[in-house]
Amino acid sequence: MSETTIERDRTAQRPNGIGADAPRKEDDRLLRGDGRFTDDVDPARALHMAVGRCPFPHARILAVDVSAASELEGVRQILVGADVARRSEPISVLRPVPGAPPLPFYALAQDVAVFEGQPIVSVVATSRAIAEDAVELIEIDYDPLPHVSDTIGALEPDAPVLHPGVLSSNLLATNPQGAGEPEERMAQADVVVEDRFHINRVTGLPMETRAIVAQWRPGARELTVHHSTQVPHLVRKQLAESLRMVEGEIRVIAGDVGGGFGLKLGVYPEDVLACLHAIDLRQPVKWVEDRLEHFRATTHARESVHDFRIGATADGRILAMTNTYTTDLGGLNSPFGSAQLSTIVFTGPYKVEDGYVERRVAITNKTPIGAYRGYGQPEVNFARERLIDRLARRVGKDPLELRRQNMLRPEDLPFRNPGGGLYDSGDYLATLELVVDAVDYDGLRRAGRGPRPDGRLVGVGLTSFVERTGYASAKFLANRGSQFGAHESVTLRANRSGGIDLYTGTPTFGQSSETAFAQVCASVIGIDFHAIRVHAGDTGATPLNTGAFASRTMIAAAGALKQASERLRDKALRIAAWRLERDGVEGLAIDGDVVRDPDDPGRSIALAEVFTAAIIGQGIPIGEEPGLEATAHFEPEEAAYAFGSAAAVVAVDPETGDFAIERFVMSHDCGVAVNPLLVEGQVQGALAQGFGAALSEDLTYDPDTGQLVNGTMLDYFVPTAADIPEVELHHTAVPSPVTTFGVRGVGEIGTIPPGAAIANAVCDALAGEGVELTALPVTPERVWRALQQARNRSETS
Amino acid sequence: MKPAPFDYIRPATVAQAVDALDQHAGMARVLAGGQSLVPMLGMRLMRPSALIDINGLEDELGRIECSGSETTVGALVRYATLERSPVISERLPLLAHVVRYIGDRQVRNRGTLGGAVAQSDPTGEMGLVCLALGASVLARGSGGERTIPIEQFFEGSYANVLEPEELLVALRFPLAPSRCRFFERGRKHNDFALISVVAVGSEDADGRWHDVRIALGGINDRPVLAPAAAARLEGARWDAAAIEEAAQLALEVADPPDDVRASADYRRHLVPVHVRRVLTDLAAGEDR
Ligand SMILES: Cc1cc2nc3c(=O)[nH]c(=O)nc-3n(C[C@H](O)[C@H](O)[C@H](O)COP(=O)(O)OP(=O)(O)OC[C@H]3O[C@@H](n4cnc5c(N)ncnc54)[C@H](O)[C@@H]3O)c2cc1C
Repeated sequence: MSETTIERDRTAQRPNGIGADAPRKEDDRLLRGDGRFTDDVDPARALHMAVGRCPFPHARILAVDVSAASELEGVRQILVGADVARRSEPISVLRPVPGAPPLPFYALAQDVAVFEGQPIVSVVATSRAIAEDAVELIEIDYDPLPHVSDTIGALEPDAPVLHPGVLSSNLLATNPQGAGEPEERMAQADVVVEDRFHINRVTGLPMETRAIVAQWRPGARELTVHHSTQVPHLVRKQLAESLRMVEGEIRVIAGDVGGGFGLKLGVYPEDVLACLHAIDLRQPVKWVEDRLEHFRATTHARESVHDFRIGATADGRILAMTNTYTTDLGGLNSPFGSAQLSTIVFTGPYKVEDGYVERRVAITNKTPIGAYRGYGQPEVNFARERLIDRLARRVGKDPLELRRQNMLRPEDLPFRNPGGGLYDSGDYLATLELVVDAVDYDGLRRAGRGPRPDGRLVGVGLTSFVERTGYASAKFLANRGSQFGAHESVTLRANRSGGIDLYTGTPTFGQSSETAFAQVCASVIGIDFHAIRVHAGDTGATPLNTGAFASRTMIAAAGALKQASERLRDKALRIAAWRLERDGVEGLAIDGDVVRDPDDPGRSIALAEVFTAAIIGQGIPIGEEPGLEATAHFEPEEAAYAFGSAAAVVAVDPETGDFAIERFVMSHDCGVAVNPLLVEGQVQGALAQGFGAALSEDLTYDPDTGQLVNGTMLDYFVPTAADIPEVELHHTAVPSPVTTFGVRGVGEIGTIPPGAAIANAVCDALAGEGVELTALPVTPERVWRALQQARNRSETS
Repeated sequence: MKPAPFDYIRPATVAQAVDALDQHAGMARVLAGGQSLVPMLGMRLMRPSALIDINGLEDELGRIECSGSETTVGALVRYATLERSPVISERLPLLAHVVRYIGDRQVRNRGTLGGAVAQSDPTGEMGLVCLALGASVLARGSGGERTIPIEQFFEGSYANVLEPEELLVALRFPLAPSRCRFFERGRKHNDFALISVVAVGSEDADGRWHDVRIALGGINDRPVLAPAAAARLEGARWDAAAIEEAAQLALEVADPPDDVRASADYRRHLVPVHVRRVLTDLAAGEDR
């Protein structure tokens, strides 16, 4: 922890309250093998679904013959595209691209399929194996069409147009944003550095793939859907829309969810299909995605091309930044579509008043892109931070000095950046100085780049960044057409045992919200942490909330939890005061499982007694309503910006391009940490995904066939624990003025720094050769190629 | 990812296994550790009519036997056994050493030597080491047993000269040279090799090297020897110039693929670099 002190609430002293390393509530069941994931839901008479998928990137479906498959023993129903068009609506978009027309996304392709893996037929049978046998027996006559897989190539005039009924090109929309006079500043600049940066296509790999169990009770008109999702209430909304039902008929239950990372935000085709089958067959239908399907049918992420430019004075003061970038949408618009945050944070933690950023959304014949931890922030950070280092070399300054020189100071905040983001508060430079000290930057500089006796060259790379956590407001979202709010909602209900049941629509998918929520309540109410039971993710029982994404849960939920806790506490104290025959609640406080009388510490009343009195309405003050329950909805006034810095030290083998990450130091600030241990876990987990995207993960499509060439765990290089460098974490804790308790979100920040820090370190090591990396991932082969190019350049020049 | 239907047969003897293979006329598959076969079944890349599970044949296929300078390792001997066997670490230390580069603990507990050689993955460690050590493959079919020198065993990527009705029963190793060095690089920890290099040999009192063999994995469609490179060093004292020449000669056999792990160009670049480093380390007395 840094020197910065946290103004803690008096109640923070509570064991397992805010600020404590409380043990995870979730772990008791998970570590005992008692978690209940969607595949663990095993209703009697359940049937199993398999999906037949398009093997081509782009193809017209000429004919589908299901006759042989229907005759297979055990097959119960087969749906084709026409059935789906008759019975359902296209899947809706939750976070639309401003200015974009809708691209009809039916659960099964209609006439033309636009990506490999797009569902074409679905089969339900008595076992998954039989359903898969049946899929093989279905004869589908395809007419393969010209495809386009390159993001920029998709926008060329000769590219085949993928949605000709809706658009005349593959440009879905262009979203500009800016402030000041960036072009004038660029013209005045002594130095302008610019380049094109390619960000790789990657995907998250939750241990639990997507899964659904759908059950229909026609007499009750009730569709019960067990679903592996981050947003059960949004899934309910989308299912109602697609299935032409009313929301009251649908109950979505997310039990334990084995990881989401943004991939499980909303409805996918298979969800609509499983429900249609279940309704027709009046039997439960289960579908669990296998890993081959996951690689093709669950959203990918990040792929984008950034044309970034920085103008500066001769002594390195940044005058303007611009970034024109193209995000790859894939073949269709998934509920969250391609990332939008590269716009909001493109200028990072620097004092830039003149800037322009433009997002172009390109449609290609690839798996749809969706949200993934970071949502545009790691992407743009790579482009900007690589250029900052280049600018430093151009003006003859150390990259550290250049960052120091241009970084926003605490007194500059709040600050509206040209991307539209409003930075709330923070000491950005403090995080940079922390990593610089920890890594002994000056010592490394003095020691030089080598070579060492083994021939390796040593480099150090820095990056500083901000992370937007939560949403600015419902108004901000409304302007962008988003189908959800910026608030969170929570219900607290006392029970007769003296405990509190906490109901939340935020399911449990590894982010530890059960634990953190209970800590907030324990702090505010004074009740024992262990007496709080969290019921999460069931739309039939929880208040209608927004959901868990965008590092926003605690940002918004903290306020709702605080308000509901206060209301419940105050009423409990009124009842306790009355039963203790006191005038008013002055000085009374809940302490663990009792309410204590301040005047007579020996005198107390059990919470169970107070709660029971309220629940049965007997023995409560006259005029007090019976019952003890509170629901609160809370929208923070603004998004809170987390921030941080990182340093990587690498040793590069200039003969092979191979490199070792010898140190990786990161500092960050998430304001007041509700649970520092969980914060650490979140950052470590996100870093692991950041290292994967920075070093090895790269979904690759064959340019000739348009097919995904590495869609298996064998060929997609997701790092294991053995591949991830040891990380040293440091924290500062500047409370945010825009949230309850001063929290900032923390779910995604770790994904941001690895690409930039590592690439900067490798380029620093190879600065003598003039190597400048412009693409992710940074593989040894890519480094070797960059070295070859640099050597060829210096030979020819 | 569910396999297509198949019959399941669990023979009690090798003779029954060979019989069953014969009856299925090449359409059946042997199930050993299942670490390669089961994923292929799941992806329906393979759809045998029957699986012949040899896991009950430990008695006949699970032994390690020594006879004079020869060591015979049964097809069903698991990686984990190779890793821990005192006999192997004494007589074939290279075979024990490379196990740590294979997959993870679970894979090593189930995967077998015979399965690995039969799988004939061009990047696999076992095939490479068998080649470097000059092993022979013992195979049994309905017509009896035959011995195939490993140099003649691999035919291409995942392809070998075993008949579909034949059971691989053992690998027989001659006396191993006294010195060996192994190097491997993958795209992630214990991934399939994008390049692996083995060099073995014996150094005499005079500082000259004999029985030199150099083998490359991940570079061609099968593990290959680099005979010209080895010949350059056979009977010689190794200095930097000799090693560099041998390293360049190793390129003569290289015909690398372009795939998701690396481009052909990059692999070709790496061959002399890593052959040189392996030989340099071996000459410097750094074994394994
Ligand atoms: C996560 C993971 C990581 C891995 N990493 C590596 C690695 O780094 N390096 C590596 O080399 N391998 C690796 N493998 C593959 C592993 O080594 C396999 O176990 C091995 O290739 C096959 O051995 P098996 O006993 O499991 O054979 P099986 O999977 O049972 O069989 C493989 C093939 O050989 C045939 N077969 C098996 N035994 C016989 C026999 N006695 N006679 C005739 N045919 C036979 C089968 O019919 C099948 O076609 C990995 C596997 C996994 C799952």
